[in-house]
Amino acid sequence: MTNIFSPLSETRRALRITPRMQPFYPGLVISPAETALARELVTETDLLRLKAIARWHARGLPPDVAWDDLLQEAFARFLAGSRRRPQGMALVVFLAGVMRSLKAEHWRRVVQETREPPALPVAQDPERALIAWQQLSTVERLFADDPVVLEIVAGLAEGLAADEIRRVHGISRIDYDSARRRMRRILLREGLTTCPQS
Amino acid sequence: MPTKLKLADTAAALTRLLEAFEQELIESSDEEIMQAAKDLGMNPRMKGSAAFAGLKYRARLRLADFYDLDRFTQPPEIKDHRDK
Repeated sequence: MTNIFSPLSETRRALRITPRMQPFYPGLVISPAETALARELVTETDLLRLKAIARWHARGLPPDVAWDDLLQEAFARFLAGSRRRPQGMALVVFLAGVMRSLKAEHWRRVVQETREPPALPVAQDPERALIAWQQLSTVERLFADDPVVLEIVAGLAEGLAADEIRRVHGISRIDYDSARRRMRRILLREGLTTCPQS
Repeated sequence: MPTKLKLADTAAALTRLLEAFEQELIESSDEEIMQAAKDLGMNPRMKGSAAFAGLKYRARLRLADFYDLDRFTQPPEIKDHRDK
């Protein structure tokens, strides 16, 4: 099966910016993320924000596809010009969208390359469904100590808007905003840690 | 949460949830990010901070960092010397 996030992907090979041997030979090659930083396209805080987003998005992918592959590939495609940023759109928002589309591309390839016809719709792929179930359980455990946040998370998973979540669970606006801040703090901590994902 | 969902619905639920989390993280302030890093014992202002693992340098080393793994995916070239 083709891994679109392979460190030797065509884009990176063409750019010669594969983050290989980076810790030992600084200056020989630099990562796409660092290239963007050097060109002042992003700030260091933006990089950390994108890291947190990438770590969360990687939860919907098989374990062999790491968050840094997802993020560096998004940077590489942007720098190579294969993904064009619409005028006026913030780079962080744009790259988050590229990561989302890379995920969708990955699952489309998995279904095309590994499943016998007639293939199931991408969203019903059994492997994807199982990964999703495990990740939803992990998210539930992560917020288990905070019932209000858990209600918000459940509402978001159902696709409810903030007002609907507040109405369904009887949460005041002040409590909702306060719970959102607590949720965001945990999301950031989980997204910035150097520990492997559970 | 997963107990209330059918297995087939979980992928869509996770997608919706991760998109909502993405939005939360996009809206997070620089101060919140620095505070989260501090909570983890990191100082992103320090050169070589662990916060930048996977961004400025590899989060973990792999075989592909040292070897050209593409070579191993190609069959070896076998030469027939009998005609010479």
